[in-house]
Amino acid sequence: MAGSDLYTGSLDLLILKATSWGPLHGYGIGRWIRQSTREALSVQEGALYPALHRLERQGYLEEEWGLTDTNREAKFYKLTRTGRKQLSTELVRWRRYARLMTAALTAARPS
Amino acid sequence: MKKAFHLSPGRDGASEDVRREIELHLEMRAREFEAQGMTPEEARQAALAAFGDRSAIEAEVRSLRGTTLRSRGRREWMQELLQDLRVALRGLRRAPGFTATAVLTLALGIGANSALFSVLRSVLLRPLPYPNSNELIQVWSDHRARGRAEPEWLTPPDFIDWRDGNRTFSGMAAYQGWGPDLTGSGEPEALGGVSVSGNYFNVLGTAPALGRLLSMADDDAGAEPVIVLSDAVWRRRFGADPGILGKQLNLNGEPWTVVGVLPAAFNPPLGVRPELYRALRRPATSGCGRGCYVLRVIGRMKPGVTIEQARIDLGGIAARLAREFPGTNEKVGVWLVPLHTQITGPTRDPLLALGAAVGFVLLIACANLANLLLVRGAGRARELGVRAALGAGRGRLVRQLMTESSTLAAIGGGLGLLLGIAGSNLLSTLVPGNVRNIQGIHVDGTVIGFTVALTLLSGALFGLLPALQVVRPELMGALKSGGRDMGGAGGRLRSGLVVAELAFAVVLLVGAGLLLRSFLLMQRVDLGYRTSGVTFVGIGLPRARYPDGARALLTVEELLGRLRGNPAIRSVEITDLPPLSAGDQDVTAIPVGEPRRTDQPEAIWYRAVTPGYFAQMQMRLVSGRNFTPEDRLGSVEVGIINEEAARRFWPGKDPVGRILAQGEDSTAPRITIVGVVASARHDGPNQPYKVELFAPFAQTPSRGPTFVLEPARDVESALAAFRQALKEVDPLVPVAGSDRIEQLVGSALSLPRLYALLIGIFATAALLLAVLGVYGVMAYAVAQRQREIGVRLALGAAPSGIRRLVLGQGGKLALIGTGLGLLAALAVGKLLGSLLFGVSAIDPPTFVAVPIILGGMTILASWLPARRAMRVDPLVAMRDE
Repeated sequence: MAGSDLYTGSLDLLILKATSWGPLHGYGIGRWIRQSTREALSVQEGALYPALHRLERQGYLEEEWGLTDTNREAKFYKLTRTGRKQLSTELVRWRRYARLMTAALTAARPS
Repeated sequence: MKKAFHLSPGRDGASEDVRREIELHLEMRAREFEAQGMTPEEARQAALAAFGDRSAIEAEVRSLRGTTLRSRGRREWMQELLQDLRVALRGLRRAPGFTATAVLTLALGIGANSALFSVLRSVLLRPLPYPNSNELIQVWSDHRARGRAEPEWLTPPDFIDWRDGNRTFSGMAAYQGWGPDLTGSGEPEALGGVSVSGNYFNVLGTAPALGRLLSMADDDAGAEPVIVLSDAVWRRRFGADPGILGKQLNLNGEPWTVVGVLPAAFNPPLGVRPELYRALRRPATSGCGRGCYVLRVIGRMKPGVTIEQARIDLGGIAARLAREFPGTNEKVGVWLVPLHTQITGPTRDPLLALGAAVGFVLLIACANLANLLLVRGAGRARELGVRAALGAGRGRLVRQLMTESSTLAAIGGGLGLLLGIAGSNLLSTLVPGNVRNIQGIHVDGTVIGFTVALTLLSGALFGLLPALQVVRPELMGALKSGGRDMGGAGGRLRSGLVVAELAFAVVLLVGAGLLLRSFLLMQRVDLGYRTSGVTFVGIGLPRARYPDGARALLTVEELLGRLRGNPAIRSVEITDLPPLSAGDQDVTAIPVGEPRRTDQPEAIWYRAVTPGYFAQMQMRLVSGRNFTPEDRLGSVEVGIINEEAARRFWPGKDPVGRILAQGEDSTAPRITIVGVVASARHDGPNQPYKVELFAPFAQTPSRGPTFVLEPARDVESALAAFRQALKEVDPLVPVAGSDRIEQLVGSALSLPRLYALLIGIFATAALLLAVLGVYGVMAYAVAQRQREIGVRLALGAAPSGIRRLVLGQGGKLALIGTGLGLLAALAVGKLLGSLLFGVSAIDPPTFVAVPIILGGMTILASWLPARRAMRVDPLVAMRDE
């Protein structure tokens, strides 16, 4: 992913996770990613938007227009039913990947 | 999150949406930085830096969004539809009264149409259940040139000549009735049979279920007597025994071998469902010549031949026969009727008339719903105005309103289809049993398709006008006027709809009035004989043991003697053909010594009765004498004719003592007329008098007499006494069945009663709907003009003047609607055609009563709104604004 040092596919996974509690606008999604990753992952914030729109096209997210807390009209992203399914399969895959990587990276020197 | 009313962006909106989305992000991010202590300027810069290359990202997102929108077009449309549907359902739930009214009206309207269409489609539109049934023709001889209006059967020699000489038919088959009595195994039973030429089943294209059917070889004089069973009798009497083939049945005392069984689905194109079929056997040698019309004939035209070509072909043969046998065949032509028309023809008029009636009811229902929706739409003008202001296009609003009407239509149509399926069975009684047997009535794919189409059409019909009306551009000003004023055009549209409703209702009321009057007149017709208190019981004496009339008479008179002494029976007489029953018999009749006139009947309908029959049946002897016990076999042949025959055969003369010959030649039997009875309608109240001859039963006895029982107490004990006496006289003779005269009269009137009842129901529904429509429009108009009325009252107008104003408006609608309706109703008589009896198509009482009823109802419907208008409180009306 351009301008990102996130591992491949992890931005998508974070977006799906961010919207799993309810519809959220782009800024809200970005803020949640920043806060939940303790701002450690330096992402170009703009990179979020192509990812959002790609997920929308794939049918994992759908748009919904609503008002923000400050009464501004904004585009909200809502996790679709297929998006929710995608999130759970990706989570399983991610955990397995992380476990294997951890195991490999903490393994002893080959004898 | 609060929902905003956002309509989906078009293509051009895409880039704008993307720009707004990113701008919002930057602003909110900047506010976050400001909260950390930056100046607005620094915060904006920091937000931009954190975002990255804004223009590149925007471009990428824009292109992504473009493809998303394109690929999503269809899904979007579906979503909008669902959204509209949700809105529609919510709106309908909020107005349960309106919804229930609309759905019920539609369900009934569509259900009635669906049910009637199922009958119409099954009977009139579906081909007969025979292969290539459009090639099948009923073949009659045409005696119109000899002054006889009805088609006539064929004589055996003519049938042979027509069958063998034609070039346009692939086959021609003849048949005639046959009444076999089954004896020998179990209870003796009188069965229904038919004699058919060997090729009959070939012509129809029928294959056997078991064994074989008849063939031409079975027609040979020396052929073994064989029989084919119907599926029904095979199951009922022989327990569906597959070993029945080759078995012998004792029929009329003779052995017949069963060679085949017909399929269950086979229904012959006859008025009855025969149980047995036998070969006709050499019809030409049956001793019946060219004056003896005893055969019914059907033919199958060769593929590609038209009925015109067939008519010309057979016509040539008939012309040749007329030259060769001028005595019998002069002026005898060919009369061909497509078999489909022959069978279903009589059902055509009533079905089409009822179809038109239910169609009108649905139209009225749609007009009413359109009005309801218009009023509803007017009430929602403000809501719609808001939505239009928020950017909803006019097409989008029309679509949304149409979704509402389509939802109503779909619910109504679904219920209607269920009603239609239920009603189809009910309405199938509209069709005489013999037609129903052949053209089974059921709901098929076409009927369902028809119902769906009707539902869509109804939805469009009552939804489109109001939808277009509501979103007219000037109405978008509704925001300003508080959504109260619909403008004059809307009022005109509503009035027009009501006028149309009233006109349709008038047409239906006139139709119902005409049919009701027909039925009442028919019911009041004096049939010319008693219509209560007698029961007819037929018996069949087997030919084998009763070879001639004398033998039959012996047994019949013994039976009569026993019955006359029975305390359960007040009187008993005999006829060989009860009134109002299927079947008739006629004989050639030539008045001896009279100059030949063209309008003189060639034949006379004939009944044999015992001397007491006229008194028992309350038929009046007009002149001459009654039969006596001395009028028997061997004495001078005598007859009593009805007044109609006296008038037609001997106009202006006393027929008593004159002679009717039963043929041209000198050997033909001659009947001396001894009396005249009053004419009676033996074929039903709506049938004209026929020329009739009565003969003494003792002089012309038959093997199939019908006993006319007048019970002393109740019918059951009289019938029991009859069966007991019959068993004592001859235990092997079966009873053919019994009919009470009340049943016969009732069934003769049952169809006219049903037609009048159904059209009456439809017309009542139409009237109520139309009056409701008037009420709705008037009530709405008063509500709309409340302020105006208030101002008028405040300025001193008399309340009665206001009432006159409102009533006058209602009256005007009634006047125009009724006038148009009456004009259209002039054509109704033509449509009802053969269903009318005794009334002209412009029956004055009907045409006077209908406007009075409708006018009265309309005034009533306007009265309530008018009263409300009178009581408008000027202060309240004006403060309301």
